[in-house]
Amino acid sequence: MANHRITLKINGEYEQVDVPSQMTLLQMLRDKLAFTGTKNGCNAGECGACTVLLNGEPVNSCMILAVECQGAEIVTVEGLAQDGVLDPVQQAIIDHGGVQCGFCTPGVLISARALINRNPHPTPDEISEALVGNLCRCTGYLRIVDAIQDAAARQESLAARL
Amino acid sequence: MSINAHPELPEFDYVRPATLMEASRFLAEHAGEARPLLGGTDIFVRMRDGFYHDKYLVDVKHLDSTDELSYDPQRGLKLGAGVNMNRVMASPMVQAHYALLAEACRSVASYQLRTRATIVGNICNASPAGDTIGACLVLGGVLNVHGVGGYRQEPLATFFRGPGKTVLQPGDIVTSIEFPPAPAGAAGVYIKLGRNTWSDLSIVGVTVYGYADAGRASGYRFQAALASVAPTPLLVPALEEHLASHPINAEAFRQAARLAQAACSPIDDVRGSARYRKAMVRTLTEKALQMTWKKLGN
Amino acid sequence: MTSQIEATSAPHPIGDSVRRVDAREKVVGSAMFADDLQFGAGLLYARIKRSHLPHALIKRIDTSKARALPGVKAVVTGEDYAGHIGLYLQDRFIFCRDRVRYVGDPVAGVAAVSEEIAEQAVELIEVEYEPLPGVFDPEYGASPEAPLLHPDLGQYEVANFIFPEPGTNISNHFRIRKGDVDAAWAQCAAIVERKYRIPHVQHVPIEPHVATARVDENGKVRLWGSSQSPFAQRNLIAKSLGLSQSDVQVIAPYVGGGFGCKAGVSMEALAVAIAMKVKGRPVKLRLTREEEFYTAFVRQGLVAYFKMGCDAQGRLLAMENRFYWDGGAYTEYGVNITRAAGYSSSGPYNVPNVKTDSYCVYTNHPVGGPMRGFGMPEMHAGLEQCIDELALAVHMDPVQFRKINCIKTGDTLVTGMTMHATGLSECLTRAAEAIGWGRKEPPSAPNKRRGKGIALMWKAPAMPPNAGSSAKVALNEDGTVTVSVGGQEIGQGSFTIAAQMAAAALGVPIDWVRVATPLDTNYSPYEWQTVASRLTWSMGNAITAAARDARRQILEMVAKAWNENIEDLDIIDGKVISYKSEEAISLKNIVIYGIPLPNDQGWVGGPVLGRGSFMPTYVTGLDAETGQGPRAVVHYTTGAQAVEVEVDMDTGRVRVLRGVAAFDVGKAINPEMVRAQMEGGFVQGLSTALFESLQLKEGVLQNPSFVDYRIATSTDVPPDIETIIVEVAQDDGPWGARGIGEHAMVPTIPAIANAIYDAIGIRVGAPPYTSEKVYLAMLEAGLVEE
Ligand SMILES: Cc1cc2nc3c(=O)[nH]c(=O)nc-3n(C[C@H](O)[C@H](O)[C@H](O)COP(=O)(O)OP(=O)(O)OC[C@H]3O[C@@H](n4cnc5c(N)ncnc54)[C@H](O)[C@@H]3O)c2cc1C
Ligand code: FES
Ligand code: FES
Repeated sequence: MANHRITLKINGEYEQVDVPSQMTLLQMLRDKLAFTGTKNGCNAGECGACTVLLNGEPVNSCMILAVECQGAEIVTVEGLAQDGVLDPVQQAIIDHGGVQCGFCTPGVLISARALINRNPHPTPDEISEALVGNLCRCTGYLRIVDAIQDAAARQESLAARL
Repeated sequence: MSINAHPELPEFDYVRPATLMEASRFLAEHAGEARPLLGGTDIFVRMRDGFYHDKYLVDVKHLDSTDELSYDPQRGLKLGAGVNMNRVMASPMVQAHYALLAEACRSVASYQLRTRATIVGNICNASPAGDTIGACLVLGGVLNVHGVGGYRQEPLATFFRGPGKTVLQPGDIVTSIEFPPAPAGAAGVYIKLGRNTWSDLSIVGVTVYGYADAGRASGYRFQAALASVAPTPLLVPALEEHLASHPINAEAFRQAARLAQAACSPIDDVRGSARYRKAMVRTLTEKALQMTWKKLGN
Repeated sequence: MTSQIEATSAPHPIGDSVRRVDAREKVVGSAMFADDLQFGAGLLYARIKRSHLPHALIKRIDTSKARALPGVKAVVTGEDYAGHIGLYLQDRFIFCRDRVRYVGDPVAGVAAVSEEIAEQAVELIEVEYEPLPGVFDPEYGASPEAPLLHPDLGQYEVANFIFPEPGTNISNHFRIRKGDVDAAWAQCAAIVERKYRIPHVQHVPIEPHVATARVDENGKVRLWGSSQSPFAQRNLIAKSLGLSQSDVQVIAPYVGGGFGCKAGVSMEALAVAIAMKVKGRPVKLRLTREEEFYTAFVRQGLVAYFKMGCDAQGRLLAMENRFYWDGGAYTEYGVNITRAAGYSSSGPYNVPNVKTDSYCVYTNHPVGGPMRGFGMPEMHAGLEQCIDELALAVHMDPVQFRKINCIKTGDTLVTGMTMHATGLSECLTRAAEAIGWGRKEPPSAPNKRRGKGIALMWKAPAMPPNAGSSAKVALNEDGTVTVSVGGQEIGQGSFTIAAQMAAAALGVPIDWVRVATPLDTNYSPYEWQTVASRLTWSMGNAITAAARDARRQILEMVAKAWNENIEDLDIIDGKVISYKSEEAISLKNIVIYGIPLPNDQGWVGGPVLGRGSFMPTYVTGLDAETGQGPRAVVHYTTGAQAVEVEVDMDTGRVRVLRGVAAFDVGKAINPEMVRAQMEGGFVQGLSTALFESLQLKEGVLQNPSFVDYRIATSTDVPPDIETIIVEVAQDDGPWGARGIGEHAMVPTIPAIANAIYDAIGIRVGAPPYTSEKVYLAMLEAGLVEE
C-alpha cells in the first residue's frame, strides 16, 4: 500500500498530509484533519452531504481520492465564514429556517455558494436544479431555495454598497 | 449494492504515469488488475460494492491532451478524456453547435458529480444507461485510443460489446472523443425518463437528432438512440431509414416510434418493467421526434 | 398585576418565531454529531457479520480464523449474550443465537484496530445455516399454515397492553368492538370495500446510524450515539446485559435526522456488546448507507382491508377494518404500532359502529419500528381513499362528506373516549378553500390532466400510558439560564422551544437561555423518548414547571430580602420588579450568591435550581376484547392536507403542483418552526407517495442504496406549500400546545391518490404512485394505448 505525501490548501491554510491511495478526500478531511463539518451520508456520490469546493467547484468529496487533490485548494463548510462573519448563504439559511437536523446543511451551503459564484442571479428553478445532488430529508427544500435566492440578493446589495 | 458493501474503498495503489506510453504499458502489464481512472465516479462505486477488485488505478486525466476542449469549424469538436461534464455544458462552442451533448450532460446525476464525471468515462463504462452515449452516437463520435501499439481511432457505433464491455484491450486508453462539424441547422433532443425529475438513472432514455438532408427522399435525416432498453446503448437504423424514405408527418413519426419500440429488448429490473419500458420507448421517441421537428423550425 | 404563574414579559417568546438556537453551529460546521466525536488512537472499529438468509437455523459458527487475524481484538457471537431485548416485547437477542430471521440479522461482531481489518475478520467468520421456509406476507404469516418464526413467543416479557398469541406468528392482536357493525350494514345506502398493500419504506435520515461504546474496568458502560432515546437505550441495554441503569451512560449529541429509526434500541446494543469484550477501549460501529437500508428499523408494510358504509345523507354508519402489519423478524416496537392503528382505526371520523382487528405479524422481513406517524400514514393511505369513494358513491362532494362526519369536540371516539376540543373542521374548511376546491384548473399542456385531492388525519402520541418527562432550569452568575432536558434535538426544533418556554415561564429574554448539550443520561433529566410528537407538550410541561419552580425560588428570595409580598413581585426581562415599591433588581449574581439582608443581618437565597416533571396520569387501559375504555390516549392532533396534481398522459408521471397543510397544533410556540414541520412532513409524505418502497423479493432487498431507493429531491417538490395553523388549545398543553412533527406527513399519500383520481378517474390503489404504476393503470383502463 503506497502512501503519498500531498500538499494542499484547506480553507486558506496549507496542509501536508500522508495519505494511502484509497483514502478519499472525505476521509482525509474528517479522519485525518478533523474537519468534521463535512459529512458522510452515503459514501457513494448520492447524498451530497460531503460536498466541498475543489478549486472553486463543488465536488462530492467521497468520490475523490485525497491523492488526486495534490496542489488543490479546498473549501469546506468551516471555511465559509470569514473572521466570524457568516457568508450570506449561511445567514440566509438561518433566517429562512432552512436548517433542521443540520446534517445536509454543510453540503447544501457549499452547493449554494458555488451556484451564486457562477450565477449571481439564480431563479428558483436554477437553485432547485443546482441542489438536486443534496438530499435533505427534513426541510422539504422550500426554505433552502428561498434562502439561497435571498442570499444572492443580499450579496448583490452588499456588493453594490462597497 | 450489497449488504457487504465496503464502508470505505478497499486497498489499491494510485498510479500517475508521466506519459501516455508509460500508462498504456502499465495497464497492459497489469491486465485484469489495473484500470484507467478519470473522474472515478463509476470506479469508486463499484470498488466499494466489491464489484471491481483492481490493484491499481491509473490516473490518465492529466496526460497529453486529455484536458483539451477545442472546436474548429472544419474539423469539429474534440473533447479530451479528462474534460468533465460541467465544462462541456458551459462551453459556448458546445452550446452553439452541439447543444444535444450539453443537454445529455445536464441529465447526469448532480452538478457536483459532474465536476468529476466525464463523457469518456461514461462511454468506457459502457452501461446501457449511460446518458451521454446516445448523443455521442448520433453526433458521430469517434474515439481516439492510445494503446501499447500507439494511437488508433474507434468509431463509437461499433465500440460497445455488451453491458460494461467494449472493444478496448488491456493498455488501451481513450484520450479524447471527436465529433465532425454539425450539419447546419441540426437539432436534437434527449428525453430521460427517471423516477425523479432530475438526477436519477434512466428508466428509458431517448435521443433524437435530425437535420435537413437533400440526399434523402424525405429531405431529412433523423437518428435515434435508446438508453436502458438493450444490453448496449442502441442506435435504431430502422427509424432512420423509415424517416428518410417517408414524407415527414405525424404518422411517419408514429410509425418510426413503433420501429424504435420493435428494436429494443428491455428487461425487468428495479427501475422499471420491460412492458413499461417498451411503452415508453414508443411514446417518448414519438415525442422526441416531434420536439426535434419543432426545433428544426417546422 | 400579572398572575404569579403566567409571566408576561415583552416581547413574549411564546408565539414568536425566534431563530433556532442550534442554527449557527449547524451552519458553520461546528455542531457535533455522533460520528464527529474524536476518540483518539485507542479507538477500535466494529463490523457485523450478518445473515444473508431470511430464515435459517444457525448450525455452527466458527470464529477461529477471524480471531487469529492480526489486529482483531474481539469477536462476539450470540453465545456471549443470552439476554433478550426489546421495547414493548422482548423478542430479540443482541446477536442471533439459534436462528436468523431476516437478511441482515446480526450473527457476530468484530472489533479491530481498523475498519478494514474488522471487515476482513467478518469475512473469515464461517456460519453454517439450515435454511427454513420463510414468511414474506403478513396475511399468510397470520394463517395457521405459516411456519412459526418465534416458537418462544409465549415466554417473552411483554407490556401489559400488548396481546401476543403464542403458537402463532401474531405478536399482538388489538380489537375494537364498538356498537354493532353487522346490524349497521343493512342501514347503509352505500358500502365500499377495499384492500390495500402498503409497502415498507425506510426512514432515510441523511445521517446513518453510528454508535461508539466504551466499557471501563468496573463494567460501567458509556455509549455515544445518534439517538432519539438515550434513556430508553440506557434502560433496555442495561436490562438485557443485567446491569444497573445507573451503570449505563448514554451520551447523545445532535441527531442528523431520526424520524423514528433512532428510537428504541437497534444497532447501539451491538456496539456495547462488542465493547464489553475489550474493556477500556472505545469501539465504534457505523452503518454504511447500504446497511442502513437493510437493517435500520423500517416502516412496516401493511395489508389493510376496509369496509365502510354510510346512509343516503352521507352519515358514516359503520366501519369494519382488518390490518395485517408486516412486523418483520422482531416486533418489539411494532406491536404498539398495531395497537395505535387499532385505537385510531376509524380515522378522524365519528362512526357509531366499528369493528377492527389489527394484527402484528412476524415475517422474515426487516424489523419494523416507529416511523414518523407511527402507523397512521399507512392506515390513512387506504382509509382516506375509501372515504372519498364512499362520498362519491352517495353522490356527495368529498369535502362536504368529511364536514359531516369528521370528529368534533365532544364526539365519542372509537374507543369510547370523549374527544377534547379540536379544530379539525376548521382545518378541513381552510385547506379546501386554499386549494380552490371545486375549481378545475386547465392543464399546462394538452397531454396532461389536472386534479385536486384532500385528506384528513388524526394521530395521538402512541406511548406507554405513563411516559414521563423532566427538566431542570439552573441560573448562572450573569443571569443566564441553563435548561437541561432529556428530549433530543433531531431537527424538529425541540431545543428552541425549550428555550422559548423557559424564557417565558421565568421572565427572561430568550437569548439568555442555553440548552445543555449534548444529552447525557448522567446529567440530563429523564425523558422517555423523543418520539410520538410528544416533546412540545410533555417535555414542554416539564420545562415550564421547572422554570416556574426557579421563578418561585427567586421571588421568595427577593420577597424576603425586600420584606414584600411575593404577590407584588414579578420577573420581567431578567429583572425582579415590585409593583408595590417599584424597586427592581437584576437577576445577575443574586441567583447564585443570594441577597444580603440589610445591616449585615446575613443572606437569603442561594443558587437557584428549578426542577419540573410531567407524566400523564389519566390514560386508562382498554378492554382486551372490545378496545373500549374511558381514555385511550392523551390527545389527538388533527389536520388536513389538500393537493393539486398534474398527470402526464405520455409517461404516467405525477407532479404535485401545489400543497396545502392545515393542522390544529393547539398553540404554535414558534409558528415558523411549525410551518417548517408542515412543509418538511408534506415533502416526506410526497416522497413516500410517489417514489418510495423497499423492494423485497423473498426477503432480499433489491434497492439498498440511494441509486435505487429514490427520495424526493429539490426538483420534485411543488414550488409552494401553503401552511395554515389552527389553534384550538390543548387543556393540559403548555400554553395550549400539542405536537405536530409526525402529523405533517400522515394525510399526504391519500390526498395525492385522491387528486390522481380526480385527474384521470382511476384509483391506482397502493403507493408509491410511480410513473410506471400510473401509466400501466391508465393502460389497463384504456386511457392510453399500448
Ligand atoms: C451518484 C452517481 C450518479 C450517477 N448518475 C449517472 C447518470 O445520471 N447518468 C449516467 O450516465 N451515469 C451516471 N453515473 C455514472 C458515472 O458518473 C458516469 O458514467 C460518468 O460519466 C463516469 O465518468 P468518470 O470520469 O467518473 O469515469 P471513471 O469512473 O473514471 O471510469 C469509468 C470506466 O471507464 C474506464 N475508463 C476511464 N477512463 C478511461 C479511458 N481514458 N480509457 C479507457 N477506459 C477508461 C474506467 O476504468 C471505468 O471502468 C452516476 C454515478 C454516480 C456515483
Ligand atoms: S457522502 Fe458523498 S455524496 Fe453522500
Ligand atoms: S436538515 Fe436534516 S437532512 Fe436537511
